[in-house]
Amino acid sequence: MKKEISFTLNNETIEVEADPKWTLLYLLREVLEMTGTKEGCGAGECGACTVIVDGKAVDSCLYPVMEIEGKSVETIEGVALSDGTLHPLQQAFIENNGVQCGYCTSGMIMSAKALLDKKPDPTEAEIRLAISGNICRCTGYVQIVESVQQAVNMKK
Amino acid sequence: MKSYEYHKPQSVKEAIDLIGSLDHAKYIAGGTDVMVMIKQGKLAPANLISLRSISDISYVDTKDGLKIGSGMTHSEIVDNEFIQKRYSALVDAAGNIGSGQIRNVATLGGNICNAAPSADSACPLLVFDAEVVIAGPNGGRTVKIDDFLQGPNKVALEKDEIVTGIHMPDFGEKTGSAYIKHTRRKAMELPILGIAARITIKTGGSQACCKDVSCTPDNATNMLKRVEDEKFVCDDVRIAMSVVAPRPIRAKKAEAALRGKVISEAVLNEIGEIAALESQPRDSIRGKAWYRRDMVKVLTKRAILKSIERILRPDNAKYSYR
Amino acid sequence: MTNHCKNYKYTAETYSALGETMTDFLHIGKNVPRTAEIDKVTGRAVYIDELKRPGMLYGKILYSRYAHARIKSINTEKAKKLPGVRAVITGYDIPDVRVGFLNDQTVLKRDLVRQYRDEVAAAAAITPEIAEEALKLIEVEYEPLPGIFDPIEAMKPDAPLIHELDARGRPLRSNILPLPWKFSAGDIEKARKESAYIVTDNVTTTWINQCCMGTSGCVAEFDSNNNLTFFSQTNVIFGGKGRIATYLSNIGLKGKKIRVLNPVVGGSFGTKLDTDIYEFICIQLALKTRKPVKIKFSREEEFAALPPRQPTIFTIEQGCDKDGRLTFRKVEAILDNGAYTSWGATTPSVMMLPISSMYRVPNVSFNATCVYTNNIYSQAMRGYGNPQAAFAVETSMDSLAEAAGIDPAEFRLINRNHPGDVTPMELKITTCPLEECITTVKEKIKWDEKWGKRNGRGVGMASLIHVAGGARVYLSDGTGIRIKIDENGEVYVLSGSTDQGQGSPTVIAQIVAEATGFNPEDVNIVFGDTDIGLWDAGTHASRHTFVAGNAAIRAGEKAKTQVLELAVQYIPQMVKRALKRQKKKNPDFKEPELDYTMIDSPEKLDIKNRMIFPKEAPDHPYFRIEASQVLTGALHVGNGESKAVVAEVFWDPPTKMLNAEMKGNYSLTYAFGTTGVEVEVDRETGEVKILNLVSAHDVGRAINPALVKGQIYGAIYTGVGFGLTEQVQVVEGKVMNPNFRDYKILTANDYIPVEAVIIEDPDPSGPYGAKGIGEPGLVPTAPAIANAIYDAIGIRIRDLPITPEKVLAAIKAKEGIV
Repeated sequence: MKKEISFTLNNETIEVEADPKWTLLYLLREVLEMTGTKEGCGAGECGACTVIVDGKAVDSCLYPVMEIEGKSVETIEGVALSDGTLHPLQQAFIENNGVQCGYCTSGMIMSAKALLDKKPDPTEAEIRLAISGNICRCTGYVQIVESVQQAVNMKK
Repeated sequence: MKSYEYHKPQSVKEAIDLIGSLDHAKYIAGGTDVMVMIKQGKLAPANLISLRSISDISYVDTKDGLKIGSGMTHSEIVDNEFIQKRYSALVDAAGNIGSGQIRNVATLGGNICNAAPSADSACPLLVFDAEVVIAGPNGGRTVKIDDFLQGPNKVALEKDEIVTGIHMPDFGEKTGSAYIKHTRRKAMELPILGIAARITIKTGGSQACCKDVSCTPDNATNMLKRVEDEKFVCDDVRIAMSVVAPRPIRAKKAEAALRGKVISEAVLNEIGEIAALESQPRDSIRGKAWYRRDMVKVLTKRAILKSIERILRPDNAKYSYR
Repeated sequence: MTNHCKNYKYTAETYSALGETMTDFLHIGKNVPRTAEIDKVTGRAVYIDELKRPGMLYGKILYSRYAHARIKSINTEKAKKLPGVRAVITGYDIPDVRVGFLNDQTVLKRDLVRQYRDEVAAAAAITPEIAEEALKLIEVEYEPLPGIFDPIEAMKPDAPLIHELDARGRPLRSNILPLPWKFSAGDIEKARKESAYIVTDNVTTTWINQCCMGTSGCVAEFDSNNNLTFFSQTNVIFGGKGRIATYLSNIGLKGKKIRVLNPVVGGSFGTKLDTDIYEFICIQLALKTRKPVKIKFSREEEFAALPPRQPTIFTIEQGCDKDGRLTFRKVEAILDNGAYTSWGATTPSVMMLPISSMYRVPNVSFNATCVYTNNIYSQAMRGYGNPQAAFAVETSMDSLAEAAGIDPAEFRLINRNHPGDVTPMELKITTCPLEECITTVKEKIKWDEKWGKRNGRGVGMASLIHVAGGARVYLSDGTGIRIKIDENGEVYVLSGSTDQGQGSPTVIAQIVAEATGFNPEDVNIVFGDTDIGLWDAGTHASRHTFVAGNAAIRAGEKAKTQVLELAVQYIPQMVKRALKRQKKKNPDFKEPELDYTMIDSPEKLDIKNRMIFPKEAPDHPYFRIEASQVLTGALHVGNGESKAVVAEVFWDPPTKMLNAEMKGNYSLTYAFGTTGVEVEVDRETGEVKILNLVSAHDVGRAINPALVKGQIYGAIYTGVGFGLTEQVQVVEGKVMNPNFRDYKILTANDYIPVEAVIIEDPDPSGPYGAKGIGEPGLVPTAPAIANAIYDAIGIRIRDLPITPEKVLAAIKAKEGIV
C-alpha cells in the first residue's frame, strides 16, 4: 500500500506517494524521472546508482524507499548550481577526461562529492578508497582520480 | 514482486511486538543482504520491520571492554578511534566489507545475523570472546558468539528475537589483534578465507611499546626477529577462521599449542599447520580447498605478527588494506 | 550535440599543448576538454536506459537452463493471460529464419537447445516486472542430453554433433567449423633445421566479459508501414542495418526502410559489433505487438547471456639462430566456438597480426581450428584475438630468449620491426618507432638494474602490433563524412560512425577545426544515425580516428575552400559597402587605397579562429572578417545565387582484404608499442603485486593527448584483469559467476602505478599523422606480467588468468612440496 513520504531532494522538500517495495533508485528514475542515477547491477556491487543520503554515499538500488523519510538526498542532478554553473568536480571530470562513456560518472561524482564534503583535502589513497565502490571499465580510474584532485585544487 | 509493508519501530520492544503480530515479517537493518535476497526472489516477506530508527541499538560504550549496539554501521565502527586501537581486528573487518556505500548502511548486527560463512565481523568477534545480547518476547539473554553462529545463514535466535548488542571484555594494553581478509582484489569482495587473531603477550621485562616517535611499520621478517630476540611469550591467544568451515570457527587446538609458548617463527609455523588441519575448506568458485588450507597456515602466522605489531605500536594501529 | 556550453569555464590549462613540435597546429595536440559531453556529468545524457517511446513495452527473454536438451513442449498460455502482457513468443510462433555470421542459429530456438543460455521464448509487457512474471509462467519441458564442453573432445571424429545441418540444410560431419584459418609463409621445416634454439609452449586463455557499465539493450519500433526505427547501441549502424534488412526480408518484410540510431552508449569493448539475438527478439516483439519494445539486459544477463571474449588454446613453437635472430614461428590454435558463431570465430584474422608480424620472423605458419561445443559462444572484445595471440607469442619470445641465453629486452630489440618492412603477412609497415618504445620502457622500468635477480621481484616486457589505419574486414573500409557550415559559423559534421565514449566528438571536432579554420567549440558532430550519416564500416579495429579523421580532413578542406571561394566573391563587396557607409556618415572620411588583389583567390586567404584573412596580411584592418559574416552574406543575397557550404567525402583507405592465404595489407598503417611491468610475488600466497607499469605507444600523432592516455589507461586495467583476475567461470556450459561480486574486474582501490608514454612518429597517411589507439593499450599487458613473474620467481604460468592458486601450485610443484 502506498504511503506518503517527505524528504529533501537536492535541497528541495518534496512529498511523494511511495510503494514500500520501491528502492530509492526506482523512485528517482521511474517515478521522479531523475534518470541521472544509473542502474549498473541492481545488487550493490558496482556503485553506478550511488547517491548521497544525509551526507553519506549509498547504493540507491538497495536503499528501501521508506527509509528516506525525513532525510536529505543528493543526486547528480543537484550537484551543479541552480543557474547551471558546474560544480568543481563536474568541471574537473570534463577537463581531465575523467568521463568516457559516462555511465559510471554520476555514481563516481557522488562518491567523490561525499568525500570532499567531509574531507576537502584528501590524500590520493583516500580518494581511491572513496571511489572503490564504483566500477569503471573505460578509464582505469587514473583520470578519474586526477579529476578529483583537480577539483580539490579548484576549491582551494 | 509482491509489495510489502515497511514499519519503522522506534524501540526494541516495539520491533518485537510488531514482528510477533505481523504475518511473514522480517527484520531489516542496512538492507544490503535483505534487499538483495528480496530482489533475487529468495525472500518474499509481507512486512519488513526496519531497525534503523531504533536509537537504543546504536551505541558504543568503552568502559570495561567494548559494547557495540547491533545497529552501528561498519563506517561508524571504522571511524571510532578506540576500536581502531584496542579492537583493531574489528576495524580490519568493518573497513573491508563491501564498499563505502555498503559500509555506510550495513550494520554489525546484520552482518552476524545473516551469518554468511564469510561474514567478515565473525572472526574478530570470535577472537574477542564476544557475547551477543539478545532481546525477545520472552525477555533478554546473552549468547557466546561461538554458540550464536550455528551454520550457513543460521544463528541461535529464537522466534522474533533481535540482537541488540555485541559485548566484548577488556584485554588490556598488552593485547593486539588483526583480521586478514584474503581476497583477489581490494574492494567489494567476499573473502577467499578470513583469519583473525588476538594475542596477549608477556614481554619478560622489556618495554613492549615502541616509544620511539620515528618507529615505522615493520615488515614480517623484522617483526619476527624482534619477537624472537626479546623472547615474547604468548600469554593468551585466540585464532578464528572463516570460509574454511560451514561457519566461522575458532582454531582451538592451534590456540592451545601457542598459549604459554615463547613466540618464534618455528612455533608460528607449527600452529599455522595445526590451524590448517582444524579447517575444513571446500572447493567453490571463489577458491579451491587446498589453497584455502594453505592460506590458513600462512595467514594465521601473519595475523599473529600483525597483532603483535599493534601491541608494539598502538598509535599506528589504523586498520589497513592488504 | 553542441560543443558550446555557456556554463563551462574555459581555463588556460585546458589548452595545454604537447611538445614543442605542435606550434604549427591550433587544435591538434591539445587537451581540448570534452565539452560536447557535459550532459554526462550532469546526469542528462540519454542512454538506452532512459529512452522511452510512447506506448513502449518491455521485453524479457526466457533462457534454457540446460546446455544441451531437446525441447519437448512449450506452453505459453498462462503467460499470455497475465494482465499487462501483450505478447509471448516462442520459436514456434516466428519464422525459423537463421541469423549470425554463419547462419547457424535461429532467433528463438525450436526443438533443440545447444547452450545453457539459449533463447527459448520472450514476453513483452507494460512493465519489465510483469514481463519477468510472464516468463515464470511459461512452461517448457526439456529432455536433457549429454553435452560436450571440451573443444578437444568435440574435435574427435566420433564426437556427437552439436549441429547436424548447416545453413543450407546439408548434413555436417564434424564439429569443426569450415573456416579457412590457415597461414603459411616460407619454409618451417628448413627453418627448424637452421635454428640453434627452439622452444615450444602451450598457452591458454579463457572467456572474459567485456563489462560495459551500460548493459546491452535496444528499442525497436515499427511504423504503420512496417518501416523500422531501431534504437541500438551498435558500433556498426550500417552493418547492423544490413543484417536487419536481410532478416526482415527473410521474414517477409522485404524493402522496408530501416533506421538505426544510437542513444548515448555506455561502453562497447566489442559487445556491439554483431547483431545479437536479443536485438532480433526485440524486433519480433515489436512486430507482434505493433508497439515500441525495449529490451535491456540485467547485469546477470550481461554476464551469462552475452557472448564474451574468445577463449584460446595455443601451441607455439619458435626458433632462432645462434645470434638470436628469429628463424620461424609455428602456431596452432584451437578455439572453443561454443554453440553458435559470432565474431569469436574471426579472431584468427587478427591473431595473424602478432603471429606473422610481431618482430621480424621470416618463416611463419598458423592454423586455427574453431570447434562447436555446448559452451557459450564468443564475440569480439577489445583487441579481438590480439591479446590472446600476443600472450602466446610474447610468452614464447621470453622462453626462447632464455634458451638462447639472451636478455629478453635485447632479444626483442634484435628482432624488432623496422620502418618500411613488409611482413610475411604482406603488411606494409610504415612508421615504426618500436625501438624507441622498447628502450623507453627499458629505461623507465629500470630494466638493467632489476632484471635477472630472481628475488621475488622481477621485470618483464612485451610488445604489440595492431591495425591502426583502418582494417579491411569488410569489402569496404570506408567512412563518409559530410560537413555543412551554417551561416552563423556553426560547423556540423554528419558522420556515419558511432561513439562509445572514447571521445570521438572531441577528436573529430579538433580535426575538423584544424582543417576548416573554425574552433572545436564551433564544431558539432552528429553520430550514429543511418538516416543522416554517410556509410561507415563501423567503429571497431581502432579505426575511427584514422578513417573518419582522414575523411573529415578532406571534407573539411573542401568546405574551407568553399568558404574561401565565397570570401573571394563577397569580401570586396562587403568592404566597399562598408566604406561607402562610412563616407556617407562622415564626408571627411578618406577612403583608403586597398589592394584587393591580395584577396582575389582562395589560395591567398586562410581561416583561423573563425576569422578569414589574407595570408599576406593576417591583421588587415578591412580584409580580416568573421567567417559567419561571409557565410551570411553569401546565403541571403536576394537573387538566384544564394550559396550554402556543404562538402562531403567518402574515403576508403587504399588497402586490401586478406586473401585466401590470409595475406594482404588490410590496414594503411600499424601501431606498435611496448609495456614493461615490475612485479613482486608473495611466495607464500602466490599473490602478484604490480609495483610499476610503463606502456609506450606509437600513436603517430596524439590529436588529444589526454584522450589518448585515457584509452591507454583503460586498456591497461582491462589487460591487467585479463592477466591476473578476470575469468568467466563456465562449468558444464553454465556461467557460474554472472555478477560483479564474483567476476573480478579491478576496482579503484586496486592501485597500479602506471605511466602511459606517447611516442609520436607521425604517419604520413594518418590524419595529421595519427594512428589508432583504442585497442593497443591492452594487448601486451598480460604477457608483460607473466614475463615479470618469471623474472621474479623463475616460474612461468601459461594459462590466464594468473591467479594466486596457479602461482602457488607452481611454486610448490617446483620445490617438490605437496
